[in-house]
Amino acid sequence: MNQHDQRIPRRTVLKTVGAAGLAAGFPYIVPSSVLARAGRPGANDRITTAHVGLGGMGNAHLSQMVRRMKEGTINVAAVCDADENRLRKGSENAGPQADVYRDYRYILERKDIDAVFFATPDHWHAVQMVHAAQCGKHVYVEKPACCTIEEGKAMVAAARDNKIVTQVGSQGRSQPEAYLAHRYLVNGAIGKVTHVECFHYPSPVDNEPVPDSDPPPELDWDLWLGPLPWRPYNKRYCHGTFRWILESGGGQIRDRGAHVFSCAMWWMGADGTGPVTVEATGTSPSKGLWDSAVNMEVKFTFKNPDWIMTWTQAPNAGPRGEKRGPDEDPIVRDGYGAIYHGTKGTMTHWGGDGGTWVERKVREWEPPAGFKDVYNGGHRGEAGHHQNFLDGIKTGKKTVMNIEAAVGVANLCVLANLSFILGRKLQWDQAKQEIVGDEQARRMMSRPQRAPYHL
Amino acid sequence: MTIDELIAKISGSDETARGEAWQNAGPLGAAAIKPLAPLMDHKDTEIRRAATRAAWKIVRHAGRPDARREARAVTDELIPLLGDGQPWAVRREAAWMLSEIAGSRAVEPLAKLLNDKDLREHARAALQRIPGRRSLAALKAAFEAAPEDYKPALAESLRIRGQKVENVKSVKLVPVKSTAVKQVGR
Repeated sequence: MNQHDQRIPRRTVLKTVGAAGLAAGFPYIVPSSVLARAGRPGANDRITTAHVGLGGMGNAHLSQMVRRMKEGTINVAAVCDADENRLRKGSENAGPQADVYRDYRYILERKDIDAVFFATPDHWHAVQMVHAAQCGKHVYVEKPACCTIEEGKAMVAAARDNKIVTQVGSQGRSQPEAYLAHRYLVNGAIGKVTHVECFHYPSPVDNEPVPDSDPPPELDWDLWLGPLPWRPYNKRYCHGTFRWILESGGGQIRDRGAHVFSCAMWWMGADGTGPVTVEATGTSPSKGLWDSAVNMEVKFTFKNPDWIMTWTQAPNAGPRGEKRGPDEDPIVRDGYGAIYHGTKGTMTHWGGDGGTWVERKVREWEPPAGFKDVYNGGHRGEAGHHQNFLDGIKTGKKTVMNIEAAVGVANLCVLANLSFILGRKLQWDQAKQEIVGDEQARRMMSRPQRAPYHL
Repeated sequence: MTIDELIAKISGSDETARGEAWQNAGPLGAAAIKPLAPLMDHKDTEIRRAATRAAWKIVRHAGRPDARREARAVTDELIPLLGDGQPWAVRREAAWMLSEIAGSRAVEPLAKLLNDKDLREHARAALQRIPGRRSLAALKAAFEAAPEDYKPALAESLRIRGQKVENVKSVKLVPVKSTAVKQVGR
């Protein structure tokens, strides 16, 4: 039996239906009205989930699925982490019905699991998503989708070839005020947008560097490191802090860029497109382990249609959030967002992730008769984005942040960091998904992965 | 900045000067690699880190389009850093640096590292990345000679290089790590 045969018989049957059903509109999961009494999903209608990576976002996803489990629509069957302390806490959060694992591949072997949530460090996203797809699991994976161009290609191919549903955790697309901003822009309220000016505060500097050391006993460092080249453990390179290492988290532009750019590509109708050039400059931390850009300026140039997107990562970048009334949802994260410059005006939003806020004129805008409506996730935080994923599993419909869209966004972040690392402008061929005219940059479109943790 | 100034600033105690020095090391080119090498294994973590980053800056600068002679010159300086007399961390970094800019002249010294259990994954990665027939031939030869437990890794490199490898199964989906955590409530 090869790796593609490791699927449950029920799934095999459903996937056979699903493959054709994607076009015909057949659901992946048999509706509860067929298998159970109306109004309450039957056991066969519940989506069985597993949760890999049990840090902040991982537990947020898990808590939401536990809530849905109590409502009878989800069965949380397994939790997994390479850190035993996190696994123990995750097990408490998940409840006694959920099995515990250190190695996510045990989960992929299980025939009863329909969908896997991956909230692992960025360097694991592609490998785990591809492996899960090859085992027939639907995947919700945290953003940014990929660390390299070739990882992104593999993710798209794996989802397509295995006909799975994917959702990437740029949940800004599903926020209520993201809906308002999107609707405002696509109905031409500020005319043709020619410049999306993204802003963000700097990446931190490791001002308390420590030498490499042995990993703590609860952590499987080999598994945590996974596909990355082996290196000794360092306290400043692990949970959370991986964000500031180029080979893993990639700094603010990959952490929050994956949110702010996600909104931009979605609202601009630019999913599936890409820039023709990317040019980044920035400052590196002068000391410490963290090596992602502290301050950064990036320019992405798009053609046909012509527009540019810029990223300014600097102290006091962008406008502060507008004051809101006592009955209004306060803007609690105004250090990042974007200003959309159109031929008839501007629009500013703050945040872009689980908190997305737009300026008052957008919230108060009354759409004209016959206006074009857009997707509305309808809930703050992750709930709407989760629902969109679960709906995708049941109906076969593409999710709002499917892997193709998410890889397109992640590629912006990857290309910006490559340009910063190399200190030169890059030419990008969107159709071929490759860098043009720069042999070193082309080699860096992939990073060979440590065995056996490879795509 | 001269090479002597680079070395002095990286070895010195002024953190700001050290930071500026390594960040501006790129144009100093191949000639700076040899003097940087001892500092890449310095007992002071920050000096070691700055020296390594300076070498990376040189590699990234030399790899720019239309600078092939510079890339070759840097390659020639990096190859000796793969040698037995160098510390593990320096050899590891040299392998990855070569993966970005080297041509066929780096293949043989990298292939030798495939016999070293502590370095073979880094050497395999570099050979996988360096295009051309010689790197492919080196991977094939290593695959034939490799112990059974290392064949899957080399097979993966060969697959990525477009080769069919049918007699070695991928182990990427095989779980091996068990947890000691007891499930809550059981």
